[in-house]
Order: sequence, then structure tokens, then C-alpha cells
Amino acid sequence: MSDLALLQQAEALAPGAIFTPITNRVKFWLGLIAFAIVFTAAWIDLELTYSVLAGGFGKLGQILGTMVPPTSGGQLERLLWAIAQTLAIAVLGTVLAVVGALPLGLLAARNIVPNPMIHFIVRRIMDIFRGIPVLVWALILVAAVGLGPIPGILAIGFADIPRLAKLFGEALENADERQRDSLRATGSPDIGVLRFGTLPQALPVCLSQCLYYLEQNFRSAAIVGVVGAGGIGFELDERIRIFAFDEVAFIVLLYIVAVTVLDLGSQWLRTRLT
Amino acid sequence: MDGAHHNPTPDSPFDLVAFEADWNRRSRNSRLISLGWIALASFVLIMSMELSEAGQSTVDAGWTARIATFADRMVPDLQLQNLFGARRDAGSLASWFYDLPVWLVAMRETIAMAFVGTVVGGTLALYLSFLAASNLNQNWIGLQLVRRTFDLARTIPDAILALIFAAAFSLGPVAGVLTLIISTVGSLGKLFSECMENAEMRQVDSISALGGNWVMQMRFGIIPQLLPQILSYWLLRMEINLSSAAALGIVGAGGIGMELQRAISFTEFDTYLAILILIIGYIFVLDLLSETLRHRLIGKHALRNNRKPSAKAAAA
Repeated sequence: MSDLALLQQAEALAPGAIFTPITNRVKFWLGLIAFAIVFTAAWIDLELTYSVLAGGFGKLGQILGTMVPPTSGGQLERLLWAIAQTLAIAVLGTVLAVVGALPLGLLAARNIVPNPMIHFIVRRIMDIFRGIPVLVWALILVAAVGLGPIPGILAIGFADIPRLAKLFGEALENADERQRDSLRATGSPDIGVLRFGTLPQALPVCLSQCLYYLEQNFRSAAIVGVVGAGGIGFELDERIRIFAFDEVAFIVLLYIVAVTVLDLGSQWLRTRLT
Repeated sequence: MDGAHHNPTPDSPFDLVAFEADWNRRSRNSRLISLGWIALASFVLIMSMELSEAGQSTVDAGWTARIATFADRMVPDLQLQNLFGARRDAGSLASWFYDLPVWLVAMRETIAMAFVGTVVGGTLALYLSFLAASNLNQNWIGLQLVRRTFDLARTIPDAILALIFAAAFSLGPVAGVLTLIISTVGSLGKLFSECMENAEMRQVDSISALGGNWVMQMRFGIIPQLLPQILSYWLLRMEINLSSAAALGIVGAGGIGMELQRAISFTEFDTYLAILILIIGYIFVLDLLSETLRHRLIGKHALRNNRKPSAKAAAA
């Protein structure tokens, strides 16, 4: 039997195993061509021409050159204080988010609030606000409240309330129903079922998520500083504006060390929690 | 009572006194530990209040009031009688969204930034991740080099990268694209290399037994089995980039964010709200689209068997 006949026999046994159907191949190539067209159009729209890129990378090289050696500019104490302030913004922002997210999370959980209308509405509202990036909140809050750490705290809190509320709601919904049932069987009121049936199951999950958000918010706190909300981002923005890139490099290195320390600490805590 | 009670034997299967002593000891310990945690948390909280000046009444007692007045200024004074009037009519929707064509162009720029950034960054990440997977790259130094590069790219926040790039490439979308490329390489590189470390090596071995070189082993041994995972992470990152690109413009990296920044610096707060509504709508549509696309590409079957990668993992 020839090779082709063997292949055809195999194809008859398992259609599509050897020869890809022609329609699939056409679809694949059409998809690829569409993708290439969109990509090229986007590239042209962004004006990513050779001269722009070459000029920019040349300048970037100069900037990286001025970054060595990094120097604190004699302001190490001030920078360490700014890092601590950034951490403080992250902590308070996370606390604000947790305080705001807890009641919303309860409302969004199907097994806590039996009324489907309530959790549908709460969820849709959270869906709308979840998309707003923290920097957008920070920009508007700095304009409203003024420069300083307070708009940073508020921005992080507002941005994370809907995100944490969704996670809290899911953690509550994932709680095992049997423990709640056994409490109901003892005649416990609803609040007792929540406290001793649901909370012990959901709390470690929620706490671990809070710690994860704290890690993320240390990054956010550095970002909101750039638009004027205090901390290390503010110091960094000032130095980039005056092209003091040796100090910028120092701050970035300092920040990376701080992030690493915080992440390791938070990971250690999270493994202990769960 | 003597010590006999404290040593339960098979004859006395349950010693209540010993049990209660043990229970008391345990609950006391756990209470002490909780108390310690609460003390630590309070300390951190008080220190944070102190450092951020949030607890000091001297800074400003009236910021809540200021937010309220500000929120009031954000709401445009629309008038019902000429709500659908032309742009020059006071109180019409058209005069509120007065620069809509410009904003839509900026929005297109944001989408283009995210698209190019994700495609280029993901491609780079795919190539680099072969070098960052310990089962595919035996060279320890090279492995560590690539992995630490990924870590570095993930650690530096987007906005700070964008600021530095904006200094080199001037304000505009090029800085945004480069920022997105770097952060995409960092996050996808880590995820891809983790996928590869979990890949089935027998397929690679069989290709090497047939005489395939390293590139062939990767192309026909690794890629086919990981393609669904890689694609779903890639799509998830596309979604994340499409929404984070909107904010990047605030620090000068092009797109709709620059219009937000402009509205704030010209104190057009009602315009800010208009653009914000546009962004929220955009992200909402994005959510719906990515949901349907994910279902179509990965297929209902795959979704049922392997749970979709968590957004948390891709964002990290």
C-alpha cells in the first residue's frame, strides 16, 4: 500500500487528523491577513518611523549614560522618608479599600443577600467603576484636594473598593454551604450563620487578597505620586523634569529594593495565612 | 486528682480534664497571637497616619468639603430644552462633549498603542521565555539573566517608565508603546516560562530522537502543547494593556489620557467627566468583547476543563 493510501485510510478513520479541512486553512490565513493589516495600520497611526525611533533611542542612550553612577544627591534621608510615605499611602489606601469593600462584598454575594435584584445592581455598579485606573482617580483628586498624600490615599481606596468587593463577594460565595446549614440547624440567627459559618471560611482568602493588594498598591502609591500625590513618585517626577537622571536611577534602585523587601514579607505572611 | 488523668490510656479513651486543659492552653495561645497581630496592625496604621499626614488636623480639615464642591463643578449644567441642540447651544450634550472627534482619535491612538505594545512585547516575551525556562535552558547564567530582566521590567511601575521614555522620545504615543512593550515582556515572559516549565518533555525528547535540533524541538515539541495557554495569557494581557494604556497618557505617553490631563490643566472639570464617561464606556465594551472572544478562541470545552488563567496572575 502506498503512503498516500495509508494516509487516506487514517483520514477516513479520524477525519481532520491528517489533512486540515480547507475551510479551516482559509479561515486561518484570512485571520492572519486581517491581523497583519490591523497591526500595520496601528503602527502607521502611531508614526513609529525609523527616524523617530533612531532619534529617541539615541537620546535614551544619553539618558541611560547620565544615570551612571547613581547618586542620592545628598538627600538620602529625604528619599527614605518619601519611600516610607509611599508605603504609608499604600497601607492607608488598602485599609480604606477594605473598609469600603466589605459591605459591598456582602451585598454582592449570592448566598448572603438572597434578593437577586440587589446583588445584580451592586455588581453592575462595581463593574462600571472597576475599570477606572488609579492614575485617573489620582489626577482628579489632586485637582480637588490639592497636592499631598491624602489624594493618593483616596485614589487608591476608590480604585480598589470595587475590585476588592468583587473578590470578597466571590470568597463569600465559595464558602461551603454545609457549615452554614449545620449552624442553621442549631437555630442560629442569620448573623450567627455569617459569623461562624461563612466568615471562618472566607476570612483567610480575603486577608490573603488584602495582602496581595497591599503589594500592588505600593506600586500604585509610587505612580500616584507622579501626578502630585506625595511619596517617592513626587520626588521622582521632580528629578525627571530637571533631567537629573543620576538621582532618578538612585531612586529607582531604592524603590526596587523596597518593593522586593515588601513582596518577600507579604509572601511570607500569605503562606502563613493559607 | 493525680497525674493519671493527664495520661489517657486506651482504657480511658477520652480524658475530659486533660482535654479541657489542652483546649484552654490552645485558645489562650491563639488569643495572644491574634492580640500580637492586632497590635502590629495598629502600629502600622498609626505610623502610616503619621507619615502621610492624614491624621493631622492642621493639614486640612476641609478636604471632604472640597471634594463635594469639586464634584459639583464636574457636573455640566445641561438644560432640558436644548439637550440635543447644536454645539454652540448652552446646556446641550453636544456642547458638553464639544471635542468628541478629537477624543475619538485619541482613543484610537490608545487602542493602537495597546495593540502594538502587546503584540511586540508578547513576541519578545515568547522568544525570551524559552531562555527563562529551567528545563529548556541549562545555562544557569543565561537563565538568571533573563529571569532577573523580567523581574526588573515588572517591578518598575508603568507610569515611571513612561515618564523616562517621554523624556527621551518627547510626549506622545511612542513613549507609551515602549512602556507597554517593557511591562508586557516582564509579565508575559514570566508566565510563558512558567508554562514551559510545566510542559510535557516527552514530546521534546521524541523530536530530539528523530534528529531535530533545538529550534525544531521548541517549535514542534513545546509550542503546540502550550499554544492555548500562551494565547489565553496573551489575550488577557491585551485586555489589561488596553485599559492601562488609557491612563498612561496622563504622564504624557499619548492617547486619551493626554486629553484628561489637558482638561485638568485647563480646569475644564466637566470636560474631564465627559472624557471619563467615554473611558468607562470603552472599558465596559472591552470587557464584553474580551469575554466573547475568549470563549470563541479557547472554546467552551477548554473553559470547562481548565479554568481560565486568573487576571491576578497576568497582572503580576
